[in-house]
Amino acid sequence: MLYLQILVNGIVLGGLYACIAVGFSLVWGVLNVINILHGTFIVIGSYTAYFAYIKLGIHPLLSIPIAAAILFLLAYAFQSGMINKVVAAPVLTTLTLTFGLDLFVNNLLIVAFKADYRKVILEHPLGVLTLAGITIPEDKLAAMGLALLLTGLLFWVLDASRVGRAIVAVRMDREAAALMGVKVKKIYALTFAIGGVMAGAAGSLISLIYPISPLNSLPFLGKAFVICVLGGLGSVPGAMLGGLTLGVLESFGALAFGPEHAVTLSFITLILFLLFRPTGIMGKRGYE
Amino acid sequence: MTRSSVKKCLGKGLVFLAVFLLVASLSTGQAAERVITIGAPLPLTGPLSPEGQKQAQGYDLWAETANKAGGVKVATEHYKVKIVYNDYQSNTPRAVQLAEKLITEDKVNFTFSPFGSGATKAASGVSEKYGMPTIAATASSEEVYNQGYKYLFGTFTPNPTLTEPLSDIVKEKVPAVKKVAILARNDLFPLAIAQCMDASAKKRGFNVVFFEKYAIGTMDHASALTQIRGAQPEWIFATGYINDLILIRKQMGDLKVSAPVVTMIAGPAYKEFVDAAGPLAENITSASWWHPAVRYKGEDVFGSTENYNKLFREKYGIIPDYAQASASVAGCLFQIAIEKAGTLDRKKVRDTLASMNVMTFWGPVRFGETGQIISLKPPVFQIQKGTQVVIFPPEIAQANLLVGVK
Repeated sequence: MLYLQILVNGIVLGGLYACIAVGFSLVWGVLNVINILHGTFIVIGSYTAYFAYIKLGIHPLLSIPIAAAILFLLAYAFQSGMINKVVAAPVLTTLTLTFGLDLFVNNLLIVAFKADYRKVILEHPLGVLTLAGITIPEDKLAAMGLALLLTGLLFWVLDASRVGRAIVAVRMDREAAALMGVKVKKIYALTFAIGGVMAGAAGSLISLIYPISPLNSLPFLGKAFVICVLGGLGSVPGAMLGGLTLGVLESFGALAFGPEHAVTLSFITLILFLLFRPTGIMGKRGYE
Repeated sequence: MTRSSVKKCLGKGLVFLAVFLLVASLSTGQAAERVITIGAPLPLTGPLSPEGQKQAQGYDLWAETANKAGGVKVATEHYKVKIVYNDYQSNTPRAVQLAEKLITEDKVNFTFSPFGSGATKAASGVSEKYGMPTIAATASSEEVYNQGYKYLFGTFTPNPTLTEPLSDIVKEKVPAVKKVAILARNDLFPLAIAQCMDASAKKRGFNVVFFEKYAIGTMDHASALTQIRGAQPEWIFATGYINDLILIRKQMGDLKVSAPVVTMIAGPAYKEFVDAAGPLAENITSASWWHPAVRYKGEDVFGSTENYNKLFREKYGIIPDYAQASASVAGCLFQIAIEKAGTLDRKKVRDTLASMNVMTFWGPVRFGETGQIISLKPPVFQIQKGTQVVIFPPEIAQANLLVGVK
């Protein structure tokens, strides 16, 4: 019974983790850009949901489109304005740029909102579901469900839409895609923007569950890193699998080694994967 | 050079000299407006900002009250008091840096410690190095005061003074309690008090079925709470700071973890905890080093607990809790020591603090060998119908312990 509850905890957590990571994985896999801003994008999504709730009374689940729209514009602007200038450069160059941008934006958030923890306290809190002795908080279940939905939606976009196929094409071969008439710079900006959208949506969901503060951007980024390595870069199913794996691993790890070692365990797993299976569980890099 | 040009030069030089002397005399004139500066490195932003802000409120109220009453009397002169704040953003290494900066660059007369046992201990090395009398308003763990330092004083009594009365009360009033579960933040004070709780519980024959630590910054306690639920303890003891405890209490509700007695330190003393936890706060027990219900008449500038509560409410619109009161009394203790010593000399003020035996609105103040206060009787309280009520000591008890936390 205990193990089943721990497993369910892990799966529910994993769904949320997947949502955090999928945007990051997309950008890294397609643009070869390690977007250090990703954590801060998530936090911006959370703040959007928070202020939409306290100022306009909009439920955080309903402010997902608002957060997504804001992050879309922001990410598009960053990419076309700055990151596109170095996108063909070695990955360390783009990493340095996104790192610098993150320092700037994150500290701007601290100045604007202070580093204090905010919490979305719902007037009508979502309850708790009990099934066969297993308890699942409804807010985490909703977050997981939506995470799966958004991830599925992204997968469908990449698979079935023109823009999606163009993104995949650019990843496979940039020059060939350009020769086929794909506007590469625009696709890059769009991909980065989609990464931002996923981050914003994740942030909106997360505002229901975790406290909101600019200081939380690095822990989210750290999780995204581990999940990408676990699941395989640039793969949407990989991000899902990586997220679930990490959630379950942390859950059982806390049981086995104590809660204070849960984070240590995830980073040890990261190192082991990097050493022995750097392509991750899915074993492939890039989009098919 | 011609004579006239030399004259011109001299003339300009004299004018310049006159202006310089005037400006210099004006500046020393400003320094003659006597001010005592006290450095206060605090986590004004970041996860510990709720606690940092409280300390700032306490210091500000004392400074304002002291200045209104004419300032601090040093021998025959009166000095105004100014607190110099530096925000270390809840980052302990930065707290240490800022503590040093306040001493060496801002050249403050005295310092207050940062927030919490961890940061206080870290920064105490700096104040000892410079022979700077420092009062810690929010550090209770004995580990903070065990370095043989002479310049550090603390207004909180050691952790067992909280866990021992709590354990006595539970043992006496709730005989159904046999198993105890402890979940502690892996940080100096929260872990230290959890270990004291472990000792107090075992001493009374309770069975500690679960004792785990969670990392600083943990946002998901589901695994630990699931294990606690499996162990079915009758008493759950969780430690951390306010943001941790709000999260733990909420996630306890999510996982339907309940027990006859749930104790949390340190957070339930604050109104913010009650507001954030809502109905989940009901019947949570806690202990602290002061409560606005105590009644002391003191030598400090506030004069009595009632007057302190009144002035606090007038300035901030809320009732004070122990965090703000401790910060205020830290200021009062500097004032009493300076006035008794009749000087701002650091060594003399330090010696006066060490031998002090005074009554204040906070309670009787006497520091032990290590610099930690030894004269207080900390109250135990419970949240009943959304308010903190004192259940111990009997002299000021307002209600009895209620059993059952859903």
